[in-house]
Amino acid sequence: MFLQQLINGLTIGGIYAMIAVGYTMVYGVIQLINFAHGEIYMLGAFFAVSFIAFLHLPFFVAFLLSMACCAICGVLLDVIAYRPLRNSPRLAALITAIGMSIFLQNLAMIIWGSRPKPFPHGSLPEYFEKTAVSFWGVNLSWFHLFIFGITICMMIGLNLIIRKTRWGKAMRAVAQNKTMAALAGINVNRVISYTFALAGAMGGAAGIMVSAYYNSLYPTMGYLAGVKAFAAAVLGGIGSVPGAMLGGVVLGIAEALGAGYLSSLYRDGISYAVMIIVIVLIPAGLFGKVLKETKKSM
Amino acid sequence: MVNIKKMTLGAKFRIGLLALALILPALPFATDYFLHTVILIYLYMVLALGLNVVPGFNGLLDLGYVGFYGIGAYTAGLLTVHFGFSFWTIVPLAFLNGALWGVLLGAPTLRLTGDYFAIVTFGFSELVVLFLTNEIWLTRGPLGLPGIEPVSLDLSLFGGPRWEFVGEVPYYYLAIALVLAAVFVMYRIQDSRLGRAWFAIRDDEVAAVSCGINLLTYKVFAFAISAAFGAVGGCFFARWVTFLSPDMFKFWESFLVLCMIVLGGMGNIWGVMVGAVVLVSLSEILRELLPLLGLPVEVRFLGFGLIMVLMMRYRPAGLLPIPAVAAQMRSGRVRRKKVKATVGLNK
Repeated sequence: MFLQQLINGLTIGGIYAMIAVGYTMVYGVIQLINFAHGEIYMLGAFFAVSFIAFLHLPFFVAFLLSMACCAICGVLLDVIAYRPLRNSPRLAALITAIGMSIFLQNLAMIIWGSRPKPFPHGSLPEYFEKTAVSFWGVNLSWFHLFIFGITICMMIGLNLIIRKTRWGKAMRAVAQNKTMAALAGINVNRVISYTFALAGAMGGAAGIMVSAYYNSLYPTMGYLAGVKAFAAAVLGGIGSVPGAMLGGVVLGIAEALGAGYLSSLYRDGISYAVMIIVIVLIPAGLFGKVLKETKKSM
Repeated sequence: MVNIKKMTLGAKFRIGLLALALILPALPFATDYFLHTVILIYLYMVLALGLNVVPGFNGLLDLGYVGFYGIGAYTAGLLTVHFGFSFWTIVPLAFLNGALWGVLLGAPTLRLTGDYFAIVTFGFSELVVLFLTNEIWLTRGPLGLPGIEPVSLDLSLFGGPRWEFVGEVPYYYLAIALVLAAVFVMYRIQDSRLGRAWFAIRDDEVAAVSCGINLLTYKVFAFAISAAFGAVGGCFFARWVTFLSPDMFKFWESFLVLCMIVLGGMGNIWGVMVGAVVLVSLSEILRELLPLLGLPVEVRFLGFGLIMVLMMRYRPAGLLPIPAVAAQMRSGRVRRKKVKATVGLNK
């Protein structure tokens, strides 16, 4: 029982971590809480289902294609909504982010309808449901393994991108100081777009996996997942990528265990409570730096 | 006696509007539905005036306003259902309860910078909704709280009659009274020491501190007052619709009220009222129009989201901007551009 809950928590936590990474990367680069990130996650799921339903693509192809679409959506979001406000007060950008989130959510409602849908019948590979490993009374399906695998691969890949590549170096430079980065010949806007693309692709992948895991997707699914992932990012210390990963996993486990042993009614409340407590007591999170806020919020 | 000729155009206009508002129920086109919508506008005016204190007067984003609205509404509903309190005692109680929660939430969190504060308020309002949904012994949870008595005016203590509020018209005048009270309080606060301190904080925190303003105290005051107004709005709402359910207090409501403020002009008392008029009317029109187009009613939020984005892009200080906010919204852009041009070596 405990182990099963732990496994469930790890599965969901890994997915939270993937979304949280998107929040934290964007925050690191442009100091904006991208409220619309949860909507990218939702769009990822809908893109994948649409590709499967209308183009009859196999699941894995649709998965990759949908990630690419989400990356494009992330870039478009930045270019259309956030870039014109880059030098505005923070309040303006924050309000824009909320506005975009609500706009996208309702756009999805218009396009795909507001009722929850399942994945098209038979579109998920059959072996997903079957038990892959069984130990100490815990059954791990292939789908669990698939989610673990994808999550771990993406996390490692992301870390490699950030630490080893030129783009990653540029991202870190922009996060530290935009002006100096620009002086050093970095195209700041392009780096920001690239960050949004990475965040979008990760968020989209998370959306597809969650919707396939529960076999249900609906336009408002991004809201709750976005909030929880944001809580995870805050827990890890916003702006810190390893922090967001750890925060997601911790939050997922806390939620699964809390729902299993304390009260399933307050399952969603756990993440809000964690978020508030962390912000009030240790605003820097587990790994974050204390923010030096010289600029006023408005 | 006031000399009408000596009044400014603005004052004449306002008095004209008030007169129109007072005779509105007597006009031939004033059906119950119409009055209901206008009462809704007044309710949102009170809410918007209350919320305006935090983002408009203090420059802090508050995403959890609806939490206080819900607290006020359920305070009123529960006190009425269980103890039969009259509306007139509940209003001050709801006011105090709202202010209390404002202080409880604000005191530890108002030290935080803008973004973090916004997130905390958001989390708080979601927790309020969860509490209202799950504590079934108290609130009946998702089933809702029906059978709240309507407002009545009992003058029997002074030998007068007892008068039950039936239909929309009495509520209409009650709502006008609430709006007038809210506007009056807001104007008085705006011109008081408190208001000036808030504006100083909004315009430049560092300068405000160096003038001896205690940031935390004044911000907590602002948050508590804002929360109390939200609670009074909720109290009126509870006794007006006589039914409450946790779904009524979701994040959308916070967003809607915030949208009114952004649209009307943050910090401008008249502006936020105009915002309330525009958005409630738009919302009602879309509610009629959208089903005709075969779309779900919730889609009207698409328009609201778009309004927020476009306002921030093209008119960040709102339709009726006040100079200080407009300058701030503009100056951010200009100042930062200069830094870019001088290559920022001093950073």
